[in-house]
Amino acid sequence: MADSVDTITTENKTLPLGPYPRFVTRNMDVPGIDRIEVYREHGGYAALAKALQSFQPEQLVEEVKQSGLRGRGGAGFATGMKWSFLPPTSPKPRYLIVNCDESEPGTFKDRMIMELNPHMLVEGVIIGSYATKVHHAFIYVRGELAFAGRQVERAVREAYAAGLIGKNILGSGYDLEITVSRGAGAYICGEESALMESLEGRRGYPRLKPPFPAVVGLYGGPTVINNTETISTLPAIVEHGAAVYGAYGTEKSKGTRIYCLSGHVNRPGNYELPLGTPLRTLVEDFGGGMRGGKQLKAIIPGGSSVPFLLPNQLDTPMDFESMAAAGTMLGSGGVIVLDEDTCIVGAVLRMTEFYRDESCGKCTPCREGTFWLVQLLERLEHGGGKESDIDLLNDICDNMLGKCFCPLGDAATSSIMSSIKLFRDEYIHHVRAHACLVGPGATRAHAASVTPVSAR
Amino acid sequence: MAEQEELVNLTIDGQPVSVPKGSLIWAAAQKLGIEIPIYCYHPKMDPLGACRMCFVEVEKMPKLATACTTTVAEGMVVSTTSAKVKKGRAGTLEFLLINHPLDCPICDKGGECDLQDFTLRYGPGGSRFDLNKRHFEKPIPVSENILLDRERCIACQRCVRFTQTVAMENGLVMEQRGFRIEVGVDPAAPFDSIFSGNVVEMCPVGALTAKNYRFVTRPWELKKTPSVCGNCSVGCNVRVDVRVDKVLRQYSRTNDAIDDGWLCDRGRWDLDWINDTERLRTPLIRRDGQLQPVSWDEALRFVAERLRAVRDQRGARAIGGIGSTHTTNEEAYLFQKLLRAGLGTNNVDHAHGRFPATEPGALPWAWSDSIAGLEQASHIVLLGADPYHRQPIVDLRIRKAIRAGARVYVVTPEANRLDRLVAGVIRYTAGHTGTLARALLNIITSDGLARGEQGAQRAADRRASVAQETPERAAQVAGVDADALRELAREIAGAKGAVILYDEAATLEPSGATLAADVLDLALITGNFGKPGAGAGPLLADNNSLGARDMGLLPDTLPGYRPVGDAAAHAALGGAWLATLPAEPGLSYTEMLSGGVKALYVMGANPARDATPEQLAALDALDFLVVQDLTLTETAQRATVVLPAVAYTEKDGSFTNTERCVQLVRRAMQPLGGAKADWEILVGVARALGLGWTYLSPAEILSEIGRTVPLYAGVTRRSLGAEGVRWPFAPGERTPEGRATITGSPSITWQMLAEGVARAQKPGGELIAPRGRGE
Repeated sequence: MADSVDTITTENKTLPLGPYPRFVTRNMDVPGIDRIEVYREHGGYAALAKALQSFQPEQLVEEVKQSGLRGRGGAGFATGMKWSFLPPTSPKPRYLIVNCDESEPGTFKDRMIMELNPHMLVEGVIIGSYATKVHHAFIYVRGELAFAGRQVERAVREAYAAGLIGKNILGSGYDLEITVSRGAGAYICGEESALMESLEGRRGYPRLKPPFPAVVGLYGGPTVINNTETISTLPAIVEHGAAVYGAYGTEKSKGTRIYCLSGHVNRPGNYELPLGTPLRTLVEDFGGGMRGGKQLKAIIPGGSSVPFLLPNQLDTPMDFESMAAAGTMLGSGGVIVLDEDTCIVGAVLRMTEFYRDESCGKCTPCREGTFWLVQLLERLEHGGGKESDIDLLNDICDNMLGKCFCPLGDAATSSIMSSIKLFRDEYIHHVRAHACLVGPGATRAHAASVTPVSAR
Repeated sequence: MAEQEELVNLTIDGQPVSVPKGSLIWAAAQKLGIEIPIYCYHPKMDPLGACRMCFVEVEKMPKLATACTTTVAEGMVVSTTSAKVKKGRAGTLEFLLINHPLDCPICDKGGECDLQDFTLRYGPGGSRFDLNKRHFEKPIPVSENILLDRERCIACQRCVRFTQTVAMENGLVMEQRGFRIEVGVDPAAPFDSIFSGNVVEMCPVGALTAKNYRFVTRPWELKKTPSVCGNCSVGCNVRVDVRVDKVLRQYSRTNDAIDDGWLCDRGRWDLDWINDTERLRTPLIRRDGQLQPVSWDEALRFVAERLRAVRDQRGARAIGGIGSTHTTNEEAYLFQKLLRAGLGTNNVDHAHGRFPATEPGALPWAWSDSIAGLEQASHIVLLGADPYHRQPIVDLRIRKAIRAGARVYVVTPEANRLDRLVAGVIRYTAGHTGTLARALLNIITSDGLARGEQGAQRAADRRASVAQETPERAAQVAGVDADALRELAREIAGAKGAVILYDEAATLEPSGATLAADVLDLALITGNFGKPGAGAGPLLADNNSLGARDMGLLPDTLPGYRPVGDAAAHAALGGAWLATLPAEPGLSYTEMLSGGVKALYVMGANPARDATPEQLAALDALDFLVVQDLTLTETAQRATVVLPAVAYTEKDGSFTNTERCVQLVRRAMQPLGGAKADWEILVGVARALGLGWTYLSPAEILSEIGRTVPLYAGVTRRSLGAEGVRWPFAPGERTPEGRATITGSPSITWQMLAEGVARAQKPGGELIAPRGRGE
């Protein structure tokens, strides 16, 4: 065993399923795969049967630990480890929640899973629940994703009808109920504790931690909460085994994940690639290169909450560690490509508006800080800013960073601080020329002609 | 202390401190006297961590910690003054101020505003925000009494959390999100709670203001006096805020044992009667059928002459006195002393419930446990009681008990605000509270639900007396569900600790003659007595209802519940008062109002308001009627002499609340010109009668009470301290936390209390003075 681990983690490893296996996206393009008959014809729910028959829950947790699977929601926490934090016994029932509240700008992988292959998610939920000895699981679907929500609801109904959810699943003696719940449209509800508040019927405010959900979670019970993609990977791990899954990726970031490629590329879309694949491979080989032959200006590699990378960092491998070393984060896998005509201030303004609108309003720095940041970015973008605004932006970010109640406030500062660091000249140009450096705003002075966003 | 608490040692700004495990850094800093600024945190509510004002730096923590959410750990090193902390706090204040209007000069909160104060202490000198601030229509009403200025709101959510988690009334909610967030009224639940005023007091800025206080004063113009509310029998601790000659508001002065830091709207705002322009400013004597102003000298002389004349012509028994449930203990004591020692009659009483002692010396009107004890109860039964309207802060404590898991049963004729929160609701026809109590006794005694030897004995004693009072009969006469009563009886009998409370008014119902004793028996038989979170008692009506009884405003007992015929008490009191006391019981309140007396002295009561036509005729037929009151009440309008008195905010004294806590009332303002405190008037009348009374202050009277009344043995103003003392005062009668309780006895008697006092005597015979809490 030790030998085989060595062989698969060396550079010239043998890859059992070829260089680009499809664990999570397999069969995604099969017509009708969203119906249980088709899903089963293509081997669906076989992994569930295998899990229930061949694994004790503890063994399953161990298998997931072995696979090296890490959370695909953004933080990248080891999934098996997270499960093992659940106390062995507790007076209150324990729960599993699937966080399908995918809302990070630039991220659209969970939506695809839910819309195209919801049964894979449901199968993952049952396997994950069995592994964590949970008898009631919740799938919390982002409110805006109405179609995805209906797909998941139908998949759960079909699975109930087929006896795959409910009492004594496949004769194993294991019971599970699954409840699908739809959000009401709030980015903050993707934060796990706010999600639980929302599930319990309250306003989506993040909760105080500790206690962490594994100890006191939904309805006060020990709760494990995983991302859609994480859970949807479980059937493949059970089917192929931890060793095969773990053969892909890097030593610390194993397996594959879906990268959501968007922006100024020829072929935007979802690509499942082994972790550690260089950004260049994604952008140039899979994404078909820059749209219209333009030059690359910057890349946001993990959703709008992470710092920018520059063209000279295009060879950075897309795994958690390499991205951290490059000063950014792998995050949710939302890779946003910006070309040379993109006004950075405008792009940052647009992203910051998102955080302002999605701030829950609970804590002061996030509530007031995002508002103020937008006000300043708006006037900079429209040519009415002052040079001192640039340092002020940085200091406001400093007053938010690490001082907000939850990570949303921190996330809002990433693009601002990193863009000022990398593109300060472009900010200064806005102040001095009262116009953008590039893009449509560069050819006319907007200061006088454009109505500020706040006045609309 | 019963259990040694586990302590955690840490240092804050270099100063070592030890606090109980689980404490917040904020609390540890409080203990050291180090201020950590807070907005969202409130010591009576769960931490929220929203305002980000209470930053501290903790060694080995990468980020700043919020002191209100971080619990202490052994060896923790905390700084509240590091550069990082200063920047963090200044940053938060700058954020809070970007949209906060600079209207301090016209804001009612200015001068007592946490945002103003903390900005001065921790804020940046200026703001870098050079854009437009948000504007809202201002103010908008959130209730009949409270207005909201949304621009000033800093979204700390104290008010919303209070209504939702403390008052459990769901009036206020947060609307919108992000920078658009604002406080609003739940469209499904109007903000009409009797506890609403607390949100005004808790609001750290001027966002929520009371309608009756807006633009009336500035905080620094107020004279603030710690005192006790004079409204209901709970005795909430308050700060009386007076501007020149008007009481503008009462604020809560936290006393965890009584009010838990809250105050009801009645206590907070119902003060107009003190500021009433119709108040009497001069004594009046009826001449030619008209009440005409006279000097105090003339009035007092006239009263003395007429009283003496009646006594000389018709005997002392022709004189009677009706005292008050509102005046202080000192005044009640002097009033009965004037009648007993000065005029020689036991005809002294006040309007009160029926609490006949079914066994010698029993005190069925004494609530055997306490308000704070409700939190430890597993069951609370409200029998014909509506504390939400009549003793609101008790209702709030019941809500706290509900959150702690108590099963509450509301047994009332009318719908109750607690109905939707409780384990059970039982309705019946008004007037039948006593019928229900006896039906419960019937179930308990006939179904063998007694607990303990004492309970079984008592059940055997009572069985015959309630044999006919079956739940079926109760169903017939009181329209109550018999099965629900059976279930309730079983719950009480099986309770870990049940508290059964009834309203004093229920004892006055036709069926209520023995209600007090029956409820006490219910508790005794089911073993719900003499342990924490268990007991029985009335919820009395007024601020000094219990004090009036304690001080002997009763025709058959002397102060401290010693029978008027008790020879020893006679000798002791007579000796102290230098008088021969009448030994036969006097006339009761109703007897005095039925032509039993020829001269009637009324202090702070208004019997004419609720009188029958016959009683009114009797009042009119009196030879002499003297009334001491604030305004020309229905009774005063019939008086021969009216003597203008003052409100509790204008005098010193003490009140005894419904759970036996004796508390200090302090003079918060100059008495109204021309009016006098009741005790001063009584001293004046006594002196005019030739009695050698020399009291110069209520303190002196209280000390005399401490010397002559065993129930209050050793009481002095000093011993009552800031938070009062509960009788019995004997050291042996206290809980480990220092609360006085009545335990270990099947019934409470004054003999028992006297024995307790005897036990508390030092070897030299000197009384050990009662200890105030925290001493």
